[in-house]
Amino acid sequence: MVPSIAAVGTSDFGRIELTGRDLFSAAVAEAFADGPDPAEVVDALYVGNQSESYEHQIMYGTLLAEWCGLRHVPAERVEGCAAAGALALRHAVEDVRSGRRDAVLACGVEKMTAGGTAGATNALSAAFDRALEQRSGVTAPSQYALLAQRYLHDTDATERDLARIAVKNHANAAVNPRAQFQRETDVGTVLDSDYVAPPLKLFDCAPVTDGAAAVLVANAEVAARFDDAGPTVRIAGVGAGANNIGVADRNLTFVEGAHDASREAYDEAGVDPADVDVAEVHDAFTISEALLAEAAGFAPRGRGYESALPPAERSAGWTDTRLSTSGGLKARGHPIGATGLAQAVEVYEQLTRTATPGRQVDDATTGLLINEGGVADAVTVAHVLTT
Amino acid sequence: MTDHDDTPTAPLAREDVTADSPFTLPGFFAALDAGDLLAAVCEDCDTHLLPPRPACYACGGRSLRVEPQPKTGTVVSYTEVRTPPPALEDRAPYTVAVVELDSGARLTGRLSVPYAEASIPMPVRLTARPPDDDEREMALAYEVDWPIHEFAPI
Repeated sequence: MVPSIAAVGTSDFGRIELTGRDLFSAAVAEAFADGPDPAEVVDALYVGNQSESYEHQIMYGTLLAEWCGLRHVPAERVEGCAAAGALALRHAVEDVRSGRRDAVLACGVEKMTAGGTAGATNALSAAFDRALEQRSGVTAPSQYALLAQRYLHDTDATERDLARIAVKNHANAAVNPRAQFQRETDVGTVLDSDYVAPPLKLFDCAPVTDGAAAVLVANAEVAARFDDAGPTVRIAGVGAGANNIGVADRNLTFVEGAHDASREAYDEAGVDPADVDVAEVHDAFTISEALLAEAAGFAPRGRGYESALPPAERSAGWTDTRLSTSGGLKARGHPIGATGLAQAVEVYEQLTRTATPGRQVDDATTGLLINEGGVADAVTVAHVLTT
Repeated sequence: MTDHDDTPTAPLAREDVTADSPFTLPGFFAALDAGDLLAAVCEDCDTHLLPPRPACYACGGRSLRVEPQPKTGTVVSYTEVRTPPPALEDRAPYTVAVVELDSGARLTGRLSVPYAEASIPMPVRLTARPPDDDEREMALAYEVDWPIHEFAPI
């Protein structure tokens, strides 16, 4: 049984005047607009959610199940920092694959603006090792800056190369009606933005985002009840990977957990990196897209920073894969626990030819999702979607 | 299991997992407070684990010995925290670094020089001191007396 994606939906992304549960209601309303009600088909619910510190709310499984008419199905929150969304998706896929359930709703929700910048800084720092890292005062940008500094030291990449990644992702977001930043930027603007944690500048960083996303994973019978004209999108491969909790113990220029996760997903799906037409990678910071392009096998080691270049101008050994067509975390937005599902929504639209003109990739039939949690690949989930 | 000499080794028997064992955080920080930076070293693959823990992340082995580490090493990477956690607001900006000790063990810590003066591979030395007021404020109840480690250029 290869599960398929029966329906998808998201809330708006950005600073939104809705609470977490309301954002979820918006995502569910879109996903079920043209099909049966959730209570008619959904057998279980998984909720990706990073932190209770934003809304002082745990028990999101029970709460959101109640909010969409599913009080009588098993429901639980899944936690893995920014990988929570893909963890929820993976649980749904495994439930349907095994035959245990016919249809499972995977969703993610985060209300990051509730506590201001200080609240988000604090909530995100909980993802780092308490003993040596948190007590040294590290932050999310500074942790990724440690990766970026070493990458710029060891490769030919420059801050300008990282800026180009931000510019590309803004250009993609400019034609994505779901994106938080539906506007372009340029290299000068990125390079002139303030350093947050050098070499990373404000425009190298994904924003703080409120948002929710929902993906209904189903067997063929249930998926048929949501039938639309487009091709069926199958979840053909799933992979898991991890790295050390502490950054100091890692190879700073190779995201091993993401490499392992993507390989496992490729193997299950029977595809190679060169087969992948579109990839949503976890560009929480521009450096992440470079590292993930290499880990996923799209770029030779040390050349992932060329991801913003037209395929013909990239180094030999690059695939023609298009990265972050949604605008990525950088510009579509990064509602932590919802991000993994927002990635799935983008690739679903690409494969069903329902992406807006300007970002629709012609003839896309295979897509990769890489969702990471903690610093970079501390916990990583990869999915391969095919038509 | 406890050896006949004084070197604690993992795996620990259940009754050996105590707050004065260096394989637990209270024991690790007590040793640091007393001047010893301890790592566990894997008997099977020689990976250095800092702080010590009961199993090796590289090979899964549970035969580990505790060894005092050299306090000198070099900067592997570094950055500057400009938007700190709220409790450390008055301290920002400050420099943080990943340091590889001369033994090969690595850890993250604050670096006592401005960002512009840091570099790869700057030689540095680790020191430990009691937490300041702001650091005590962000500490959990059991962390209040744990020392703060920092690096300074040699």
